[in-house]
Amino acid sequence: MKAQIQQVLKYLQDKGASYGDIRVNEILQENIATENLKVQTLGTSTSYGYGVRVFLDGSMGFAASQDFDQMQATADRALAIARASRLVQKQPLVLAEKPVINDHYKTPIEEDPFKISKKEKIDLLLAAEEAMRQAAPAIFRTKANLGFRKEEKTFADTEGSYIRQTLYEAGGGIEAVAVTKGEMQLRSYPNSARGNYATAGYEYIRSLDFVKHAPRVAEEAMALIEAEECPSGYFDLILDPTQLTLQIHESIGHPIELDRILGYEAGYAGTSFVNTEMLGNYAYGSEHVTVVADATCPLGLGTYGYDDDGVPAERIPIITKGIIENVLTSRDTAAAAGLLPNGTARADGWGRIPIVRMTNISLMPGDYELDDLIAGVEDGLYLDVNRSWSIDDKRVNFQFATEIAYEIKNGKRTGKIYKNPIYTGITPEFWNSCDGVANEKYWKLYGTPNCGKGEPGQVAHVGHGSSPARFRKVKVGVADV
Amino acid sequence: MFKKETLYEMIDWAIQAADNRPIHVIVRSQAEGLTRFANSEIHQNVFEDRTDVQIVLLDEKKRSTVSTNKITQEGIEQAVKEAIENLSFLPEGDAPPALVDSPDLMEMDRFEPTLEEAFDEEKRAVLLGQELDKIILPYKAFGQISYKENSMVIGNSTGIRRFFRGNSVNLSVLISHDDGASGFASGVANAPAELDIAQVFTKAYDKAKMNHNPETIHIGAYTVVLEPQAVFNLMMYTTLLGFSAKNLQQKMSFLTDRLGEKVFDEKITIKDDWQSEAAPGMPFDMEGTPRTQLTLIENGVAKEVAYDSESAAKEGKKSTGHSAGMGFFGGAIPTNLVMKTGEKTLEQIIAETENGLLVTRFHYMNPVNPRQVLLTGLTRDGFYKIENGKITGAVANMRMTESMLKAFNQVAEISSDTERISAFFANVQIPAMKIENFHFTGQTSIREPGQT
Repeated sequence: MKAQIQQVLKYLQDKGASYGDIRVNEILQENIATENLKVQTLGTSTSYGYGVRVFLDGSMGFAASQDFDQMQATADRALAIARASRLVQKQPLVLAEKPVINDHYKTPIEEDPFKISKKEKIDLLLAAEEAMRQAAPAIFRTKANLGFRKEEKTFADTEGSYIRQTLYEAGGGIEAVAVTKGEMQLRSYPNSARGNYATAGYEYIRSLDFVKHAPRVAEEAMALIEAEECPSGYFDLILDPTQLTLQIHESIGHPIELDRILGYEAGYAGTSFVNTEMLGNYAYGSEHVTVVADATCPLGLGTYGYDDDGVPAERIPIITKGIIENVLTSRDTAAAAGLLPNGTARADGWGRIPIVRMTNISLMPGDYELDDLIAGVEDGLYLDVNRSWSIDDKRVNFQFATEIAYEIKNGKRTGKIYKNPIYTGITPEFWNSCDGVANEKYWKLYGTPNCGKGEPGQVAHVGHGSSPARFRKVKVGVADV
Repeated sequence: MFKKETLYEMIDWAIQAADNRPIHVIVRSQAEGLTRFANSEIHQNVFEDRTDVQIVLLDEKKRSTVSTNKITQEGIEQAVKEAIENLSFLPEGDAPPALVDSPDLMEMDRFEPTLEEAFDEEKRAVLLGQELDKIILPYKAFGQISYKENSMVIGNSTGIRRFFRGNSVNLSVLISHDDGASGFASGVANAPAELDIAQVFTKAYDKAKMNHNPETIHIGAYTVVLEPQAVFNLMMYTTLLGFSAKNLQQKMSFLTDRLGEKVFDEKITIKDDWQSEAAPGMPFDMEGTPRTQLTLIENGVAKEVAYDSESAAKEGKKSTGHSAGMGFFGGAIPTNLVMKTGEKTLEQIIAETENGLLVTRFHYMNPVNPRQVLLTGLTRDGFYKIENGKITGAVANMRMTESMLKAFNQVAEISSDTERISAFFANVQIPAMKIENFHFTGQTSIREPGQT
């Protein structure tokens, strides 16, 4: 394979390409899902192919195929596409410098998830469902799922890099749904949208301990049916990491993508209120808000050795004590903005080009004990587990719903719960209203395996870590409109 | 892209490898060239050729699924072997519905060769170049034009065979000014004459020119005129959440226990019809079942929902031929939506609106409460004030949060003219709509400290 790749890279150079790369991916996935104590899905999939990216006279072309006998023909197609692009090129595309790398990176794992028997996995899911049903016999529906992924990736370019990566992912979750006439409520663990995922082996699944958490999940789903509707108004909020993960994702992670800032996504996903002139001086949040993009973070779903530009993974300060410092860049966007590439260009498999993607964008822990955060709230809510999300095309106005709200009165959780909580805000106003983040003891990392962007559509796997954080006077509900 | 005979051969290999076990096989082959432009020049230009085989192997009370793009005979045999092995790990569940066994053969070829010639990568670039040259700075163009061809064959161990082939071109254009004013328009075509690229660019350009100096207005309830793209945004989620039998069985749908009741304004009639000129589709679904026509809503009354074989078996019914693939989107979904139109054009509806807001489209919609079809999303790329029948200015984008059970009961008008819109599974033909008392719940401006 290496000889074939290098032969085609030389062919691209002979045809006048200023740069070319070839990426070969083989992705193996396994998904198991149970519902109401029956196996709904036992599925595996394999996808194996390659993509050829070429820059020719400042224009780009990309062609992808699964026919390895046709690699040179695919390279010809990429060259033809670059020539077509050149017809409408005003400013030549440039790639920022990067080091030449020869390496093999592998996700550190203890237990290869593909070597664990499928029966053991099914038994775990059914046991978790049983535990939910025993705790709440009237529950309407229970679900459980596991997902595993192994990606063998080879990247080679005309600059001399040759990088192999073996990346593992593991994750899953459980869900209980309670229904009454006209209403449906749900609770999930360890998070919604199929649970939580990490770059890890099967040991990660064992650590999630579905069975232990199952009774609470089912009981709270039932309790929500009887709970009062969440009140509307302005409240102090403490967001659990299960909600903060998507809050960070939508209102920090996407706005700091340089391709959005440059307009590359304007026609589809949108742009950003952030611009590069803000770097070093714009108060994105309060002094309590420090955010990093860390593609080296253990277990992070956005953790890897090298991005799909062949740039090493990095830990980058994004917001330090409220001030935005850096954005996420690829080689092409960095060159266009006069910045450095920081290893965040990733492609969704062999058939797509690398674009700027989040890595693990995390809110760093503060100094507070959780009880102290709660003690500072006179009339507020603790919101747990995301249920719905939406944000505008410039990433300014967001609205989230969570599965549950726990009431806080006079500095204490009262034990009362509310259903259907929604809160909304304006990104910089919201992050500037943060007046406390819990310490590292409470810091948790969540993986989001479904971040959509790009045309044709691409799905990225990214991570977000945080401790519970407190926000003042946030608008809750829409009943007043 | 492979020929029909080659794709059928892959099915034969899988069935042979299954060794008389019940097996259902889907082979999808797709080639897509997509040219993206930003800041009025091409910045991404790609091509992908992909063929996948999905194998569903059944036992008496078990089912396993394996997908692979290793499409040699050896690769497909290996996938079947893995599917057989997986059955041994499975506990018994409900008996899967029987495989479709009639008719033996259904084939449809909607491939239009002139489309391929008219929209190869070079012609796409030339056509774009002509339009991009007309955009004067500080306006800039963003968007994509793509050419896609699809072939799909389905077969199973009862001997049925299905084939469908088609191709299409899709164009989306956003024109944006440095001050943030933007306009959007799109087009989709199955033949070259169906797409007027200049017209799409002009529409987006005109919308951007009208969108300067937007006024920030208060949150609250307004009369809205929704252009077809905005109606489609609402209708797509209403369809996904509501019209699947599985969602009713799981009590997730707003139609739970409400079939036969009036749920929307009587002006609303929605059908699913793959044979309609307006929204042509495949004659069969992903299980190989022939598609039937569905009357989803008739004069506001909920009539029918879509079934696949599994949801149908639970109620002792027959599949309506709307399977979107095993376990996908609630199992079954109507894909070829046709809405009954009204008598006035969009232009007339605007002219008769005393006070209202005109919405081009919504961005990042999501359901907040599926049982209430409570949706949220934001206006984007063309949001205007209508006063005394005229568009008088731009409005700063806002968030809507509204239950479609309320909105679709406050329909004042449905337009006579429609727009063809590229949907997830098929193209659909959607009219504009005027709705009273539509709730906007948030603004999108970043306020200075102290500003309210």
